[in-house]
Amino acid sequence: MPTPEAFDPLPWLILLPLAWATAAFALGPGRGARLAIAGLAAQLALALILAGQVLAGGARAHAVGGWGAPLGIDLMVDGLAALMLLMTAVVALPIAIYARGYFRARPKGGEWFWPLAGFLVAALDALFLAADLFNLYVTLELLGLAAVGLTAAAGDRAAVAAGLRYLLATLLGSGAYLLGVALLYGAHGSVSLTVLAPAVAADPAPAAALALALVVAGMALKTALFPFHFWLPPAHGGAASPVSALLSALVIKASFYLLLRLWLDLFAPLVSVSAAQLLGLLGAGAILWGSALALVQTRLKMLVAYSTVAQIGYLFLLFPLATGVSATAAEAAVQGGVMQALSHALAKAAMFAAAGGMIVAVGRDDIARLGGIAGRVPLTLFTFGLAGVTLMGLPPSGGFSAKWLLLMAALESGQWWWVVVMVVGGLLAAAYVFKVLRQAFPPAEPGDLVHRVPRAMEWSGFALAVGGILLGLFGAGPLALLAV
Amino acid sequence: MSGSPGAGRSRIVTWAVVGLCLGLAGALAWAMLDLPAPSTRLPGQVAAQLERSGVEHPVTAVLLNFRGYDTLLEIAVLLLALLGMLAAGVAPRASAPLGASSMLAALARALAPLMVLVAGYLLWAGAFRPGGAFQAGAVLAAAGVLLRLAGFLPAWTRPGAALRMALAAGFALFLAIAALGLTEGALLRYPEPSAGALILAIESGLTFSLGLILAGLFLAGPELPRREDGGGTP
Repeated sequence: MPTPEAFDPLPWLILLPLAWATAAFALGPGRGARLAIAGLAAQLALALILAGQVLAGGARAHAVGGWGAPLGIDLMVDGLAALMLLMTAVVALPIAIYARGYFRARPKGGEWFWPLAGFLVAALDALFLAADLFNLYVTLELLGLAAVGLTAAAGDRAAVAAGLRYLLATLLGSGAYLLGVALLYGAHGSVSLTVLAPAVAADPAPAAALALALVVAGMALKTALFPFHFWLPPAHGGAASPVSALLSALVIKASFYLLLRLWLDLFAPLVSVSAAQLLGLLGAGAILWGSALALVQTRLKMLVAYSTVAQIGYLFLLFPLATGVSATAAEAAVQGGVMQALSHALAKAAMFAAAGGMIVAVGRDDIARLGGIAGRVPLTLFTFGLAGVTLMGLPPSGGFSAKWLLLMAALESGQWWWVVVMVVGGLLAAAYVFKVLRQAFPPAEPGDLVHRVPRAMEWSGFALAVGGILLGLFGAGPLALLAV
Repeated sequence: MSGSPGAGRSRIVTWAVVGLCLGLAGALAWAMLDLPAPSTRLPGQVAAQLERSGVEHPVTAVLLNFRGYDTLLEIAVLLLALLGMLAAGVAPRASAPLGASSMLAALARALAPLMVLVAGYLLWAGAFRPGGAFQAGAVLAAAGVLLRLAGFLPAWTRPGAALRMALAAGFALFLAIAALGLTEGALLRYPEPSAGALILAIESGLTFSLGLILAGLFLAGPELPRREDGGGTP
């Protein structure tokens, strides 16, 4: 617990992005890039300070308005929340630097990028800090609308259609969640997690079980878990590259985080092994189906988007590996799942950044015509490859640590079938990454121009890819924070 | 079309959706019939703390004080809805100017000032009876829509700097007061003697900006060609 005089970064993590988003809106179309980069740099510092405080002093709450739950709203930070806040800042800052270069090269869809991105980041921070079911709903809506706005901003008919489809999916997901919250409020008279958790444990009414089912279904839809992934590829594949990076790296992690948190805490007395196995089965379906479809794509960004569908599957293997098993296995499973969320955030942001760089270089989004990339923009291609190493789960990347921990949990709890899925998924990931790399090495066809890519774009994507590798080498720090 | 495989499949999907909905309705009914008595009773707590909230009406106290943080984020959601529309470049069909008849123009001239008056009353009434910024803002927005339909207001093709600042002002003021609460020890914590004044300031700002934002959902978008047959000049 910090002394009252110590600076508390917690409320500022929400206020700061809201403030610069509003200012960027007032500044007008296309403005606000420098403001955003400064704001995100400050946000990274705040997230680091908060993580340090949590590591030293443990989890703590902040009573908004000074009322305290259940009358008021509490914010709560523990190791998991602090890690997610760090992930948001670490990924969003390079993406902002990247976006500044990207929208200079391709201004289409960038008019209102900065205020929308600011509200998106604020919504993520607010969601990770929320400890109140209704407040979580508000943050979900804020996040969903910002993400839909960014998707539709590309402006053409396909983008608006993808945005509308995304909007309907995300509204249905939050609607199911809200129905679950209403049931819990009806049964126990509060929406505060600290008040509800003991009440649900003492009297697990049928309303709470139904609420669990609704929340799981809503979050599975929002996280695009197979077979609810139909909205993701057109939205993530069709948006401008910095937007795709934000959506794939961060936005889907928010609904996953919410599900994980409620599964482990509020709904812990209600969850069953069969429900967990079902989630794992859908995760396995996502890994195989997403990877197979990634392999047959002809457009570069659609390939990366289907890779996201596959990587989401690994996140959901956490549930069967952590439910109804020994404490050691459960701990390894949660560590593995969170590690997967972090490493995928870094690697997928890097991969979309690299894909955007290649598109700027060759002027189109066609995998078969990437010739000349290796010679002209080698750093961008190297970024794509490094991100691929993390997605395949090769050592020493963060993806390797994640899959290793999940593997340990599977062996510890005697669920070998998930191991098979993970190994096949890794091989398929290698296949779709090499499909791109193979096309990029031959020289450009005569008549095809390959442009240089702005240096800020190349290096910011590269930094993200290196981050994915470093996470594997220095994974002990995040895992220590997670244990708080 | 009946008998084709496509129709057969869509019928299966329809029945699957109907089955799912019936199942959910049944499960909801079952859950509702077996609700435990809530262990927490919030209305009592609201009543007990009402006099410390700075207002006399429990709904306003919850919206602007006890759960003011939710409201802060909700305002951001509304601003974001307009922003998303501007970003997507979606033009609402209804923003086409009607051929404003002289009756409509006269009615709009007569009603608009009254609507502003009503909005002011609703804002003021929110402190002690149903009312407040959302209702007042909605009435203001309705006045904006009426003036647009009567051809007195242009569509917003590209909101200028002054308009953007006016749209953001209510939220920015709310955000600033929320940050000011940190000097009292917590986000959005009002110093007790001035809680009522601060809430009134927030609500006034919100009424103004919400009126513009809600009207903007109707007014934003490119100016559509004017119908020639309608007559009537703005």
